[in-house]
Amino acid sequence: MIKVDVKNLVKNYGSNHVLKNVDFQVQKNEVVVIIGPSGSGKSTLLRTLNKLEEPTSGSVVIDGKDIADPKTDINKVRENIGMVFQHFNLFNNLSVGDNIMLAPVELKKENKAEAVKQAQELLKIVNLSQKFDAKVQSLSGGQKQRIAIARALAMNPDIMLFDEPTSALDPEMVGDVLQVMKRLAKDGMTMVVVTHEMGFAREVADRVVFVDEGKILESGTPEDIFEHPKNPRLQSFLEKVL
Amino acid sequence: MKKLKVFFNAMVIALFALLIGAGFSTQTAHAEKTYQIGTDVTFPPFEFANNQNKYVGIDIDLMKAIAKDQGFKVNIKPIGFNAAVQATQSGQIDGVIAGMNITPERAQTFDFSKPYYKSGVVMAVKQGGSVKDLNQLRGKKVAVKTGTSGAAYANSIKNKYGFKVVTFDDSSNMYQDVLTGNSAACFEDEPVMKYSIKQGTKLAIVTKPADSGSYGFAVDKGKNKVLLAKFNKGLANLQKNGEYKKIVDHYLESKGTNAGSSDHTFWGILKQNKGFLWNGFLQTLWLSIVSIFFATLFGVIVGLLGVLPYKFFQGLSSTIIYIFRGLPLLVLALFIYTGIPTLTGTKIPAFIAGVVTLMFNEGAYIAAFVRGGINSVDSGQMEAARSLGLPFSKSMFKVILPQGIKLIIPSFINQFIITLKDTSILSIIGILELTQTGKIIIARNLEGFKVWTIVALIYLIVITLLTWLSKWGERRTRL
Repeated sequence: MIKVDVKNLVKNYGSNHVLKNVDFQVQKNEVVVIIGPSGSGKSTLLRTLNKLEEPTSGSVVIDGKDIADPKTDINKVRENIGMVFQHFNLFNNLSVGDNIMLAPVELKKENKAEAVKQAQELLKIVNLSQKFDAKVQSLSGGQKQRIAIARALAMNPDIMLFDEPTSALDPEMVGDVLQVMKRLAKDGMTMVVVTHEMGFAREVADRVVFVDEGKILESGTPEDIFEHPKNPRLQSFLEKVL
Repeated sequence: MKKLKVFFNAMVIALFALLIGAGFSTQTAHAEKTYQIGTDVTFPPFEFANNQNKYVGIDIDLMKAIAKDQGFKVNIKPIGFNAAVQATQSGQIDGVIAGMNITPERAQTFDFSKPYYKSGVVMAVKQGGSVKDLNQLRGKKVAVKTGTSGAAYANSIKNKYGFKVVTFDDSSNMYQDVLTGNSAACFEDEPVMKYSIKQGTKLAIVTKPADSGSYGFAVDKGKNKVLLAKFNKGLANLQKNGEYKKIVDHYLESKGTNAGSSDHTFWGILKQNKGFLWNGFLQTLWLSIVSIFFATLFGVIVGLLGVLPYKFFQGLSSTIIYIFRGLPLLVLALFIYTGIPTLTGTKIPAFIAGVVTLMFNEGAYIAAFVRGGINSVDSGQMEAARSLGLPFSKSMFKVILPQGIKLIIPSFINQFIITLKDTSILSIIGILELTQTGKIIIARNLEGFKVWTIVALIYLIVITLLTWLSKWGERRTRL
């Protein structure tokens, strides 16, 4: 079953062509890792999947709904797509628990008591059970990112987007975050991950996509990509990062 | 958006309530069938507030005496010269007596009574000084008060006598300049000068009245002929029976009862005017509170328009901020108070005009920092909220605004203090707040330095209190 179906996607910023006719699909339960040099357009591709970036042209169909179409209620679609950002973007004015409960309570999915219970369960999953009442400012980077994952999961999405989730972390924090992501993948979450963690890609990805200069240049299993790269640009990219 | 609408409606309703309230209060004054006569607020000795802050003066005493002689009732309203003239033209009051010169130009729109006072410009110098006549002014400076016949006269003869004219905004500063010796002399209407000397100003009149004009009582052209006839008849009676001379001498001749025989120390001035100052202070406070309320409402709404994701509203917000931040407060106040009624034909009470002025001006500053504060919240916060499926308005109210407001609280406190100070500029449209109160007291006792010191101290005390209150509020929001 196709969860994400992108066709002929073009994104321009003025005369700057960031995405050039990209076709991209994600199956249910699939974990897709997008790799590529900085500025290649991989984050922009990810951000068009929940319309944080508006496509210039082309279609982005999520669960059968074209979100490029202005008539689609984008808020409804977004409830089903969790997103994790490079810089966490936790709500600075709210406690950890309120960060997680904001969307479920505001969007009337749950009453307060249910939301508290669910938030505590999510905190257990990310190994931060004791932080429910903590202030966001008191957390380390790794803790912030795990709270951000818990927050993204609070609406029970069936797709999760990760935009370089470990890039802003100190090296010793990276492992904790990747561990949570691995567990999600194991539980069958549909995931699209933009990352520079090649180890994670190799171990967890069902499919790896290489993006450069606004195009998908190669796509395949981790083995295809890392052991038998065909595209010369992918070969030179891998030489630099591995 | 819904909340914005509610805010806006509340603001409109409140403004209307104020307007209607003010409308009623002027109507009740019309209920009694008496002649309504307008006069100026500070033109001693013709009209001014005395020690008890009751309006007295030649004009007022004369009008009352004539009314008594002719058997009619008057209600004298000190509303300021310009306001009195306009109100007479629009029929809101029946006439104006305010040391008004009879000129051919004015006679086009007003019917004047027989002249009741012949005035003229005199030159005054420091008592015991060496300057005694116009010829001694060559190469020296001469002080005048802006817009007076004394100023016009001085300018007309300055080339002939070779002196330089220095212009002041009020009489006490003009006298002070002569007393300190910066200026060799000043030119002033004879009765005004005589009254000042009687009040203890150490100047002496050294010339005969020149360039004289006559004061008349005025009614709207073609109307109130009966009142005018009564005035003329009464005036003639008073002049015959000596009462007229009694009234004039009372204010101008040193043997008459001295209206200002009083304690001119700081403490004396404060004690004598405490009620008057207190009312001015209350008016300043009330004006500040109402203005801050509306300016905040207006500013927050305009600021929020500026962060909506629509180009139209952003443009609207920028334009409003640009216009009202670009206009000097004084110009805006005069435009709203005198310009709008000219355009629309509906009068605006001075208080409302003042509030509207501050609402626009201070509101524009508030809008600018509200917009700036909200925009300075990291854009990732909005993205994270939207990515969860929260609509724009919920993201704004739950995530962005709480963070933005914290950033702008210090700016709010600053703006409240500025608003309080800016209420003083509204004295220009005749609102009887603290600054205007000061002006009126000075017009009577000519103690500029002392009165302004008292007024300045009162402002400082209020601002200190406001700052404490704000700091306290700020600490509470921090928790």
